[in-house]
Amino acid sequence: MLEIRNLTKHYGKQIALNGFALSVKRGETVVIMGPSGCGKSTAIRCINRLTEPDSGDITLDQRPVLTLSSKELRELRRNVGFVFQQFNLITRLSVLDNVMFHLVLAGTPKKIAEQRAWAALDKVGMGYHGHKLPVNLSGGEQQRVGIARALVSNPQLMLWDEPTASLDPILVGEVLEVMEELVRTTQTTMLIVTHEVSFARKVADRIVLMDAGRIVEEGPPQLVFENPRSEIGKKYKRLIAS
Amino acid sequence: MLHFFYDGFYRDFIVLMLVTIFVGVAFSSGLAWAVDSHFGETINQMIGDHGEYDVILHVREEAKEAALRELERISEQQFPGAKLNETLTIAGQSNLFFGFPDQFKTQETFAGLPSIFNGVPGLNGYTVITEPSILIRGVHPSVRVELQERFAAVAGVKFAFRDGLNMLVLLDSIDDARSVSAEIKQSLEEYQILELRFPMGFEVDTQQIAHDVIDLLSDKLGSKKIENVSSAEYGEDLDAFLKTLVEMRSFLLSYASKVRIEAIPDVHLVVGEQIVLRGMGDVDPYVADEYADGQVIVEVTSVQGAEAEGMIIKGSIFDATDILRQDGFRMRSGGEIGHHIGQVELENERYRLAYTINESLRLLEELEELAVEASLAVANADAIMNTFQEALMQLEVLQIQMRQLSEGISQGGGQFGSEQLLVSLLVNGLMKNLAQGATGGVSDDSLDSLENLDVESMRLSLSNITEQITRVQEIDVKAIIAQIEYVRDSLPQLDDEEIGKSIRLINTYLGGQVIPGERVQLLVQNRIIDEKELEPQIREALNNPYANVYLTSVGMVNPDVRSELFRVLQEIRATIAGMLAMVFVMAVLILDHATIFSTLKWVRTNKKGPRGRLRKLCNPIIGFGGFTGMVALVSIYLFSRAEIPYMNPAIIGIIGCMMGCTIVVFAEKFSPIHSNEIMAGQALGLSDVQIMREIVIPVSRPGLLNMLNRWKQRF
Ligand SMILES: Nc1ncnc2c1ncn2[C@@H]1O[C@H](COP(=O)(O)OP(=O)(O)O)[C@@H](O)[C@H]1O
Ligand SMILES: [Mg+2]
Repeated sequence: MLEIRNLTKHYGKQIALNGFALSVKRGETVVIMGPSGCGKSTAIRCINRLTEPDSGDITLDQRPVLTLSSKELRELRRNVGFVFQQFNLITRLSVLDNVMFHLVLAGTPKKIAEQRAWAALDKVGMGYHGHKLPVNLSGGEQQRVGIARALVSNPQLMLWDEPTASLDPILVGEVLEVMEELVRTTQTTMLIVTHEVSFARKVADRIVLMDAGRIVEEGPPQLVFENPRSEIGKKYKRLIAS
Repeated sequence: MLHFFYDGFYRDFIVLMLVTIFVGVAFSSGLAWAVDSHFGETINQMIGDHGEYDVILHVREEAKEAALRELERISEQQFPGAKLNETLTIAGQSNLFFGFPDQFKTQETFAGLPSIFNGVPGLNGYTVITEPSILIRGVHPSVRVELQERFAAVAGVKFAFRDGLNMLVLLDSIDDARSVSAEIKQSLEEYQILELRFPMGFEVDTQQIAHDVIDLLSDKLGSKKIENVSSAEYGEDLDAFLKTLVEMRSFLLSYASKVRIEAIPDVHLVVGEQIVLRGMGDVDPYVADEYADGQVIVEVTSVQGAEAEGMIIKGSIFDATDILRQDGFRMRSGGEIGHHIGQVELENERYRLAYTINESLRLLEELEELAVEASLAVANADAIMNTFQEALMQLEVLQIQMRQLSEGISQGGGQFGSEQLLVSLLVNGLMKNLAQGATGGVSDDSLDSLENLDVESMRLSLSNITEQITRVQEIDVKAIIAQIEYVRDSLPQLDDEEIGKSIRLINTYLGGQVIPGERVQLLVQNRIIDEKELEPQIREALNNPYANVYLTSVGMVNPDVRSELFRVLQEIRATIAGMLAMVFVMAVLILDHATIFSTLKWVRTNKKGPRGRLRKLCNPIIGFGGFTGMVALVSIYLFSRAEIPYMNPAIIGIIGCMMGCTIVVFAEKFSPIHSNEIMAGQALGLSDVQIMREIVIPVSRPGLLNMLNRWKQRF
């Protein structure tokens, strides 16, 4: 359903993406891994055009993404959930409002939006915190709200940009649990950037290893982690072994 | 960048701008007005409220109470509701403020000011201070009515009225002062007074000259609207003074000694030349000698062929009763005596006048004596007459007795003898003697003729004479003498030299001045003419090289003191408003627009990636910021009628633009970006306007943008 071809992105002289190409099938869970600064975030953000690539080609459900009008783009974004590393909650809004406000702004009646928001919050185990403000939540709780927010509009594709990278190790588990649960119970296509190797092995249909703005190795987890061909893959194998 | 506004934020932005301008105008003009009214109050406390009083009456201090009472009466009876106030008394003069009630602030009232106040005791004059108004000084009478109507028609003018030589134009509002005075100036400039002046001594036919010059101008300039306005009363006081001077001069001239000069052939005298005579001294002037005391110097005042007239400018012929005829010599500069020029006749009119008066006085004194003597003489004559009549009657009695006696003698015959004859002879002789004594002894019948004398009619004529003499005595000769003496004494005690100097002084003064009748004024309309260019043409056309041409205006706009004061205050207000506009725009830029700018900047960088420093500086957001600042500042500046000296709207625009640009450059410092939240909004499919309304603006600094957003904000 998602086809990315030959994506390049420069930040000044710095190359963030250098001929990135990826193809994802409907319902597939793809985990992208790679060292910091290798262009994972850039790549994933290009998909819903939070970042504009310099060149390349992206199609989602046969629709070219990069030439969409701003209205079409907004529609696309509503169908693509995005979970940020920093949660990116609207700090002034309550948990509930954070989850439902974009539905309301997109035209969903408030009542329905609210019901769906409560359902999404229940799904991530945050049903009791709806009226709290994000600052009063722990990092894990905040990220779960972020997940609920992405989930609430029933997206066909969910993009995760290191959702646990800024959490205390103790809190990482609860988020990963929610994620595992989601992967198991929904048909949503997932594209997850993470450093959690064991989580990746558990949930991924496919592992994509990146380095210096391009994909260096990809394949099922067993293959990539047992028999890595790339330098990065070998580093991960050593990591698992230790 | 513009696409950011496309999906609806432009509306929010426009509303923001409109509200910003509106609030800005209210803020800057309101605060400026408050400052203005504070100072205005101070001024008003000093000189009465603006427009509260219309007239300051200058009244002698001691008459102040009476004047106040009269003014109270005037206000009660003629202008109910009028305001009256007493202010400073300066140098023995009290100043009383009088303000007409609004319904009486009419042209009729102001035109009738002199008659309204002429009964105020101790009034030394008044000054019209009605406001708001424009004072036009020295409005030429020929255009007064026309201008009055024109000014009244100007927008913002209530009416115009004459105040002596000036004209006052009453305005609806002080705000109109500038525009109206500009328009008035323009109207005044449409007229010019072309004035021709002739030096002293030119007897000119002003009508003819005016006619000639109008012809000339119409030919040369094609100007249709030229009018002779010479006869108009212009500068009445000056005219009166000049007239007096001219009279004075002619009096002095006739009072001065007459000087007639007969030049010898080949000598050509000119006006102004000086001639030396011996005068009453005993030094005869000789060629190449120096002027000596006692000699007389004469200045030639007019020349007609070989004859000339002049006046004495040095020396005196005071005691000369007769006409003097002496040789005259040219006086060279430096006091040296020059050639003989002919005979000079001097006649001291003044001395002759004094002489005549003295003679008359003597005559009068003698007349009085004469009357006294005459009345004595008449009284004597009367007494003689009585005696005479008595004597006559006694004579008659005697005559009869004599006759009886002589008859008796002759009838008696010889009875009496020689004694009787003797008596008879005696009586006859006596009678003859008697008759001779009475009549001069003419004849026998003299006694009869004596009897025939009409003593009664003689008496009557005597009493007539008495009456006439009495009447002469009744005339108060002493009073007449006193009067004549007074006239004699009040005649100027001037000698010729002094008279000459005075005349010369008057001439110098009059020479440069306008003298009634020797000035031609033409009203020229819609024509700007050049006097310097015109003068030679006019001189040529009039064949008079002494004609001077001047161009004057028909009036000068002269803002009155308080208007001026308030105008300055207005300027201060406008300046304050201008500064406040800047402060306000700066605040708005920091509080509101910085948020927009920083968001725009973030969106742009996030999409396109960071730029080099140079590229950063020439991005369209800086242009947009400049534009925003410019529009906001210029609009507020103009709408709040701000005016900072030396700053026209273009400069203000540039300042606004620079402010906007600066705020764009430092936008993030004033309004930090919550990029995570914006990005979340983007990822959730929010439009830019939704991101602004729901994410950016609610957490921005409190300001107009923030406040206005509450209407739109849904969460
Ligand atoms: N907004 C940005 N401005 C400049 N450089 C950026 C920006 N975002 C990413 N980069 C650079 O692009 C490269 C890829 O970054 P990123 O995709 O965030 O890496 P990763 O997510 O894999 O850690 C990095 O070298 C990073 O420094
Ligand atoms: Mg990253």
